[in-house]
Amino acid sequence: MNKIIILFAAIVTLGFMAFTNHSGGVYKTNTGNINFFSHTAVEDITADNHKVKTAFDAETGKLQFSVLIKDFEFPKALMQEHFNENYMESTTYPKSTFTGTIDKMSAVNLAKDGTYKSPITGKLTMKDVTKDVSTMATFVVKGGIVNAKATFTVNPTDYHIVIPKTVAAKISNEIKVSVDADYTHAH
Amino acid sequence: MIRPIIILIIVLAIGAAFYGYNTYNKPHTNVGESEAAETLLASEIFVAFDTNEQAAMAIYSDKVIQVEGELLSKDLSNDKEPQILLKGNGDEGFVRCGFKPTELSKVLALTDSSTVKIKGICMGCNGSEELDLLGSKDVVLSNCIIIN
Repeated sequence: MNKIIILFAAIVTLGFMAFTNHSGGVYKTNTGNINFFSHTAVEDITADNHKVKTAFDAETGKLQFSVLIKDFEFPKALMQEHFNENYMESTTYPKSTFTGTIDKMSAVNLAKDGTYKSPITGKLTMKDVTKDVSTMATFVVKGGIVNAKATFTVNPTDYHIVIPKTVAAKISNEIKVSVDADYTHAH
Repeated sequence: MIRPIIILIIVLAIGAAFYGYNTYNKPHTNVGESEAAETLLASEIFVAFDTNEQAAMAIYSDKVIQVEGELLSKDLSNDKEPQILLKGNGDEGFVRCGFKPTELSKVLALTDSSTVKIKGICMGCNGSEELDLLGSKDVVLSNCIIIN
């Protein structure tokens, strides 16, 4: 009889742990931040998007992003207009996506508060051009929320973004992209 | 004879500089003061994007749109842009409306499951069937204001 009670207690405990330990499964957010920044001697250009969809699989490290190009907000309306109409052609190519992996997913302990690092590798698609991207990401686990930060650079010409010579001095060849997202466990 | 020409050149130069300055500093679209180009249900705009994204982009993107729908939830996880979700297609697709932080008190006053009218600039439809981890697709409106 005691063995049955112990077995029952063990099953209940394991079942409870399965539902409360969020170290596995998918973590996601629809409100991630992406900023890009171009610095030249003539002008600094920055824009922000606060509705970035992103998720990762805590077991495999699979990582995905989707961001609407038109939803980048610039300080100046004219910059935003030129970005969308002249450079990104965002009505024709409305989204940019990233699919890749958190290469050292096992080093990120989602069940324990702390700061962890892992390389990220994957493919970034803009304007139907796909290129390999890699960077280092920092994960801060705190109270069930996983904050991830990473930066990398993109060269506009790699993605067939044509900058007219008249404004070439104002736009850098190395655009710094900063990602900042708070993931929560997707139930 | 030369004097009027010089004056004309100066006037033209001042005019061009004024035009250039105003163009460079033109303000973003003021949603509150703009007439909605389209008025439709949240389910209608979601179906339009879900059925033919390119066609819907041509019709709705960059335009001030008024949508009416059932408030599924508030998403206040990003303090730089409070957001709400309107039901677009049951639990499968949504209209995500982003607000300036100055609108937070009005967003907080909304009641879940109530019918709300929102005006905002249509940015497109985020998400994709190919990105399986991301789940549902969202039609996105930005710089929104609450009408009721």
